[in-house]
Amino acid sequence: MTIAIKDLTPGFVGEVSGVDITKPLTAEQVATLEAGMDRYAVLVYHGQPFTDDEQKRFSRYFGDLEMSAGGNVTKAQDRRLAADMADVSNLGADQKPLARDDRRRLFNLGNQLWHSDSSFRAIPAKYSLLSGRIVVEKGGNTEFADMRAAYDALDAKTKTEIEDLVCEHSLIYSRGTLGFTDLSDEERKMFTPVRQRLVRTHPVTGRKSLYLSSHIGTIIGWPMPEARSFIRDLAEHATQPQFCYAHKWAQFDLVMWDNRTTMHRVRRFDETRVRDMRRTTVAGDSVTVAQMAA
Amino acid sequence: MTITFTPLHPGFVAEAQGADLSKPLTPDQVAAIERGMDEFAVLVWRNQPLTDEQQCDFSRNFGDLEQTLIAQLQPNERRLKLAELGDISNLDAKGDLRGRDDARRMYALGNRLWHADASFRATGAGYSLLSARIVPASGGNTEFADMRAAYETLDDATKADVEGLVTEHSIAFSRAALGFDDFGAENAEKIRPVRHSLVRTHPVTGRKSLYLSSHIGAIVGWPVPEGRAFIRDLTEHATQPRFTHAHVWRVDDLVMWDNRTTMHRATRFRDLNEVRDMRRTSIKGTGLTAEQLPVAAE
Repeated sequence: MTIAIKDLTPGFVGEVSGVDITKPLTAEQVATLEAGMDRYAVLVYHGQPFTDDEQKRFSRYFGDLEMSAGGNVTKAQDRRLAADMADVSNLGADQKPLARDDRRRLFNLGNQLWHSDSSFRAIPAKYSLLSGRIVVEKGGNTEFADMRAAYDALDAKTKTEIEDLVCEHSLIYSRGTLGFTDLSDEERKMFTPVRQRLVRTHPVTGRKSLYLSSHIGTIIGWPMPEARSFIRDLAEHATQPQFCYAHKWAQFDLVMWDNRTTMHRVRRFDETRVRDMRRTTVAGDSVTVAQMAA
Repeated sequence: MTITFTPLHPGFVAEAQGADLSKPLTPDQVAAIERGMDEFAVLVWRNQPLTDEQQCDFSRNFGDLEQTLIAQLQPNERRLKLAELGDISNLDAKGDLRGRDDARRMYALGNRLWHADASFRATGAGYSLLSARIVPASGGNTEFADMRAAYETLDDATKADVEGLVTEHSIAFSRAALGFDDFGAENAEKIRPVRHSLVRTHPVTGRKSLYLSSHIGAIVGWPVPEGRAFIRDLTEHATQPRFTHAHVWRVDDLVMWDNRTTMHRATRFRDLNEVRDMRRTSIKGTGLTAEQLPVAAE
């Protein structure tokens, strides 16, 4: 089988055929997919009914797995999945939808805000790989925005203005936006803000992109309200329809994206229905800017 | 002279001509303008130089004037004499540009979020009238969104979802969105949330519209994060380019809009370097859109 990648959105989203993720891949296949990720930023695979272990093996071809600790408020003993799988379902350990006012559900509603996975970690994520095990018929799309195209389309003045800006990212900020502020001291410590450059350069392609995320709470050296309104303007620019793709899920779809060059969000759906999505995250390998001493 | 309306955005924004707003108007003229406001929701008048008193006099044709919230919050730091005149400028009481960290500048940045004026009051506002005295070379536009068209284009399931919902509005919610919470304990009463229906019906036209505003912090009876996420979705729908119009200001423009059927926001400009002096009057709303909570502590 030869891997083929077809345009869904030219230069941004590709549809992959010719690979079976339940089987080990050759080095050549992995290289083809990485090259595809660099050329696009989002790759969609259909009909891939793999196990968690197979998802992890496939993900490790692209780097080490990121552990999900530090990214949510679910306690270790309440987890439904292994620690190196992110549970992006609306289910508790009993496999039933979480209650409407369940704290974990309210925290996870933050996924409806445009974000880049793990931008709240000093070393943020490279790829995310999201597998649709049980999908909902209506709503629950995942939308992607191309942060390279968004950067390229800025006027020269704005590009100059943002070139060296550094932002603070934390889950405290994105959750605060939705009024989720009831965090324990331990959680607040876990979610201590980190710094990220606003403009990143892709290590392989050399293309610049806007590194935006709803986890941003301020720009270093700026008054917070001024920073936030500027970041809102940039995010509005970056998520215009011409930069976006909406993925409507079918069961056993796998979508992988490069968090260094994209944002994404989930759309509203009827949360009394089961939506079981499982994510593996490939860790990044470097900071985007020096951090504050702890 | 007959008052005429030339559409700038069909059914939503029109340029009005044929009256000198610095002079008293006849009842027929006032009625014609009100009909224009009902048909459209935003009217643009060009070349209407007004004094503060003339702006207030013209505005009173449409109802009682509201005192601005900031005049109530900080009565001693006013640049403008009349308390009915909202100071939508980047100038301090002495007429100098406000500094980067000035608290009033931080507060005013909230105007860059989509909102309906005074939705943090139980009665909301009727019309607002904004007069441009000094405008910057670029930026500082005011954008408007048509909440009737936004409502009408919702799918049936969403129309059913929003019908009957009540939201909580406070100036504190919109300012907190930008990380500003410096109101002072003495103002706790003025930032207490009020309630509004999410869907309102225009008293004259009978058209329904979405009553959205960045002052919304919750939907009554919903978990707060779920309410806010839903309000964000509705706001994104309502502010798509097809429902919005950007007004590029010239000196002596007067723009008037109906806060019951529109949202608006200002866009960024070089506010540390250039003067933008705009003055706003607002007409008091009449009637509640939703039942208020009794004030428990009083």
